[in-house]
Amino acid sequence: MNTITAYKCKQCGLVMYPHHFRCLKCHAREFEEITPSEKGKLLTYTIVEQLPWGIDERGRVLGVVEFDNGVKALGVLHVENPKMGMKLKAGWDCVRVIGGEEVYGLTFQAA
Amino acid sequence: MRPVVVAGAGMIPFERRDEDTLVDMMAVASLKAMDDAGLGDRAVDAVYVGNMASGLFNHQVSVASALVDRLSLMPAAADRIENGPASGGSAMKNGFLAVASGYADVVLVVGGEKMREVIGPKATDIVAAMTHPQAEYIYGVTLPALAGLFTRLYMEKYGVTREHLTMVAIKNQENGLLNPYAHIRMKITMEGVLKHPQAHINSPVVADPLHLYDCCPVSDGSAAVLLTTEEIAKDLKKPIVTIDGVGQATDTHTVHERSDPTELKAVIESSKKAFSMANAKPKDVDVAELHDAFTVLEIAESEQAGFFPLGEGAKALERGDTRIGGKLPINPSGGLKARGHPVGATGVAQIVELTWQLRGEAGERQVKKAKTGFSLNFGGFGNNVLAFVMRRKS
Repeated sequence: MNTITAYKCKQCGLVMYPHHFRCLKCHAREFEEITPSEKGKLLTYTIVEQLPWGIDERGRVLGVVEFDNGVKALGVLHVENPKMGMKLKAGWDCVRVIGGEEVYGLTFQAA
Repeated sequence: MRPVVVAGAGMIPFERRDEDTLVDMMAVASLKAMDDAGLGDRAVDAVYVGNMASGLFNHQVSVASALVDRLSLMPAAADRIENGPASGGSAMKNGFLAVASGYADVVLVVGGEKMREVIGPKATDIVAAMTHPQAEYIYGVTLPALAGLFTRLYMEKYGVTREHLTMVAIKNQENGLLNPYAHIRMKITMEGVLKHPQAHINSPVVADPLHLYDCCPVSDGSAAVLLTTEEIAKDLKKPIVTIDGVGQATDTHTVHERSDPTELKAVIESSKKAFSMANAKPKDVDVAELHDAFTVLEIAESEQAGFFPLGEGAKALERGDTRIGGKLPINPSGGLKARGHPVGATGVAQIVELTWQLRGEAGERQVKKAKTGFSLNFGGFGNNVLAFVMRRKS
């Protein structure tokens, strides 16, 4: 499945997403590319009623998810009643059309 | 470093200003600051313009060069400073450094933004362009959305309620009624925006748990100050007000990468630096202008800048400590919530308000016996923050 690429510091093991040229913790420059695990838990969320130009919908649920392998990332939640700490399963779908092109990103459903 | 005096301060009312161009607004605010200083025709050595996105909002760039031309300030040095919603604060810092270092004796700092030239969703998108392009922006993240993610965590961790958030909005809109420069001049009630069965119509959800009245308006406006040395300022008629501390700090671009997203490290560090430079402590502050782009931020900043212990900001609000007349009045101007938030102008408008407060020129919203002031200008979602400590000297 398509997904994001996260980065694990080869010196201190810190897992980062998105990419940094130097580790946020130890400033080392070598990273192992990793992918998030299949599932994670919801750390926080918001239901956005006023979306920016180019997204013709209301009530988009955005959430921050911590995957089981430590990767943290934001994504679009397809969940009726989000709850803090709930288990989620990751997907990959079109999240926005920018300049006529479909842009893909992380989506989540209840696990 | 040389002491830096705010010799002149001026601004134009923040509102929707369809008739004015960005440069017109900045020129009028500049003339007010120059006239307020009373330095006559003395040359301005350098101009720093805080502006976030004139290229996107107004299809005009190099606005500092355009401004010196409109004001006939040539051959003054002129730069536009961009640091998101803290562009005004960054322009203030650059102006401060120019005078403090001896590079310039008279410096004009102007903040300005004309956001209402585009429709609301477009303005939302332009502001959202400061988020991480791949990890945040593509998902439709807006600044209210980042604030919504933060607010949910803050409420859960510290017991902040929607009543507390609404109390910030009520207080700042009451203060805004006393400020002729404020964009929103309307009294609101707990009943009208939170408790009434139809409150959700008056204050609809923007980014849950944040509602309309938790968010600052989208404004046009400009504010300006004239900075100079103590030597030049000593013959001026106005009370001497100095900028004694400037702090700036950064945090991760994405909010999700912060180990504790409720901790605003850039607020904590910038405030510490400003207090340290000024040799002051939070308890010395008589009046504060905080960056309440969202109601929750006034509470969080009041704690993390050092005025109240963590979790106590909402209690201080309940007690009325942060009202005009309370122990530490916060945002007597109405803050971003009521004065408005033309992004590049805000950091300068905060210094203008503190200058008026410290001089005793703030009219109906005057904080009595204010001698020391503090401002906080919050860029991104807390990834680049500036703090200032100011004092009245005479």
